[in-house]
Amino acid sequence: MTHSLFGWLLFFWLFLKASLFSTGGFGSLPSLHADLLARRWASERQFAEALTIGQLSPGPNGLWVVSLGYLSGGLPGGLLALLAILLPPLSVVVIERGYRRVEHHPAAGGFVSGLSLAVAGVFGVALLSILRSAGFSPRTGVLAAGAIVLALTKRVPLFGIIGLAGLVGIVWR
Amino acid sequence: MTPGAPSSRHLLRVWLTLSVQSFGGGTATLALIRRAAVEEQRWVSGEEFGRFWGLVQLAPGINLLALTVLLGRRAAGGRGIVLALTGLLLPSAALTILLTAVYAHVRHFALVQEALRGIVPAVAGLGFLTAWQIARPLLTYPARPAILLGSALAAWLGTVPVLAILLVGALFGAAAENRRRP
Repeated sequence: MTHSLFGWLLFFWLFLKASLFSTGGFGSLPSLHADLLARRWASERQFAEALTIGQLSPGPNGLWVVSLGYLSGGLPGGLLALLAILLPPLSVVVIERGYRRVEHHPAAGGFVSGLSLAVAGVFGVALLSILRSAGFSPRTGVLAAGAIVLALTKRVPLFGIIGLAGLVGIVWR
Repeated sequence: MTPGAPSSRHLLRVWLTLSVQSFGGGTATLALIRRAAVEEQRWVSGEEFGRFWGLVQLAPGINLLALTVLLGRRAAGGRGIVLALTGLLLPSAALTILLTAVYAHVRHFALVQEALRGIVPAVAGLGFLTAWQIARPLLTYPARPAILLGSALAAWLGTVPVLAILLVGALFGAAAENRRRP
């Protein structure tokens, strides 16, 4: 990543833009995935690493973005990413004023549902490309499916699933 | 300072406690915040908490942060917002950065690389599950799966900017809902 002032401004803008046009903790992934990969500021591997670290650390899921900022831009990158995810939610104070008027209008709910569905669709494709970077193999398939099954049982904490997957990675070559 | 408003130290302590307890992702954190705000601190009623949660779906970015802003304001105005965000984010963001920094130092070890070859597919799998859990309750009538599949297809083709896909999806969702029950 470029360390010029313009480079940092663009870096911050990409993170802010992704956060502004997103909803939920993972909503900014599709936009960041497209923008950072295109500029080679982050790799598929770094996205997977940031998502993992985000899952392991406390706080809202969306903090994985801070980890991504650190991996692609060091400490300043992490802090800029934190600022970028902190600013957009503050607008809720303004939104609340208008909300009472549109609260019962079907289009308002439809807009959010449509956004969430579009995020889910683009998110799925971005995950597919992260998965492809790990190489499509029986091992990859078993690990992805195994993690889903374990999560669905709700008996194994996330730490356990990720730890187990790490062990499988070491043992199964 | 509004009369009867909780002290800064008290507010900061409540949110710091929430922050360090909030392992395990959004749903777990939401449950923790709800219990603290509604049952323990009584900043809002259960009904109002539900209204807040609906409202933050409309706000951009991380819903939990927008919820934190609303609850902080309800407890103590602007001072409450600053204290709530600081309390929730200071420990969790610091720990995220610390974990990433430690990881960046050990990432080149062969053992870490091998472990990661197992972890990357598993995290992708968990991501698919999250995407599905977001989408499934919304797939209530035919226009909805069309948005999901259409945006996935557009992303797959890779020629349309992601932002445009999200915006079209949202507008399509608003138009479909409006047409269904005007």
